[in-house]
Amino acid sequence: MDFRTCLIVDDSRIIRKVARRIVEGLGYEVDEAADGAEAFAYCTGAMPDVLLVDWNMPVMDGITFLRRLRAMPGGKRPKVLFCTIETRPERIAEALAAGADDYVMKPFDGEILQSKLTEVGAIAA
Amino acid sequence: MTPEDFDKLQSLLATRAGYRLSRDRIHLAEHRLGPIARREGYANVEALLSNLWANPVASLAWSVIEALLNAETWFRRDRIPFRILESELLPALSKARPDGRIKIWSAGCSTGQEAWSIAMTGLELGVPVELVATDLSQRAIEKARSGLYTGFEIQRGLTAKTMLRWFEPMDDQWMVKAELADAVRFGRANLLDEPTDDARFDVIFCRNVLSDMEPTRRARLLDGLERRLVDDGCLFLGAEEKLEGETVAFRAVNGRRGLYVKAPSALRRAA
Repeated sequence: MDFRTCLIVDDSRIIRKVARRIVEGLGYEVDEAADGAEAFAYCTGAMPDVLLVDWNMPVMDGITFLRRLRAMPGGKRPKVLFCTIETRPERIAEALAAGADDYVMKPFDGEILQSKLTEVGAIAA
Repeated sequence: MTPEDFDKLQSLLATRAGYRLSRDRIHLAEHRLGPIARREGYANVEALLSNLWANPVASLAWSVIEALLNAETWFRRDRIPFRILESELLPALSKARPDGRIKIWSAGCSTGQEAWSIAMTGLELGVPVELVATDLSQRAIEKARSGLYTGFEIQRGLTAKTMLRWFEPMDDQWMVKAELADAVRFGRANLLDEPTDDARFDVIFCRNVLSDMEPTRRARLLDGLERRLVDDGCLFLGAEEKLEGETVAFRAVNGRRGLYVKAPSALRRAA
């Protein structure tokens, strides 16, 4: 499978910028959304191959967005990495149960993102 | 640091650790020795080194050596060796050793991520593994034994699911759970030393050690690994490492990158 596009969903412009630089370095075409509702609207138009999704965001949070995404036509196909500052095991388990393919604790770096994307099969090992 | 200091450092690393400190690491060396100079009360790295050359105290020399070794490692590094271990080696070995435990050595284990990755594989398969992990650096071994990793370290190579299965939060870090902690025995060892016991292993991981060694010391390391490996055992080298005539004791396994077995000529001890 050929993964090409990535949507970064985070209310922090700085995080989006940092993540964008890393993910573009891995060969993706990147778009951004500032909350779950924006991301949802984006996905109804064009489903990305990979999504990085923050948890706490205004308008619609990441978990709500993730559940709606997975219920959409074609919404099970994209690989979703949850990327948040939340580190409690029960919260990580909750995100995985809601349909995240993997979970990234902030702060992260390029090596971690690359390792996680490889692990979910979004980039070749 | 002067060029003479760096020459002396190169020679110290080569003679004591067999380690090749390449010239491009001069700034890295300067950077890594700064904290030691401060800790030991020297004004700067130059002062630390000139004292060390004048008065070569073993403990200070080892602090310097340990700071300059390449400690880089991560969980399930290169992935493929762990896949081979899981799907081929452990199932085959547990059939071949129906009563015994499978003995594995993580040689040059640095801060322990490789050893924990091996231990997880064994426990997840339900195969009894006796795992020994050694490194030249006492500091690295202490960290490995503590089983404590930062958010950066724990996420490099592990999925969140695997992390939650085997680690738990401890302050700002992640700590290996007791069940896994019991599966590895860590100790300090110099791979260039003569073996002092007759322990032998079914599988040896010695990855990314050889490529950092002085070419003239590689044969000695490989000879030590050969003596420690059972005749039908397997050796993993790093994915980027290749044997280039240092030894005739091992041959590469086709289609299994990094995997080596004993060459027929090395099976003399079986007789």
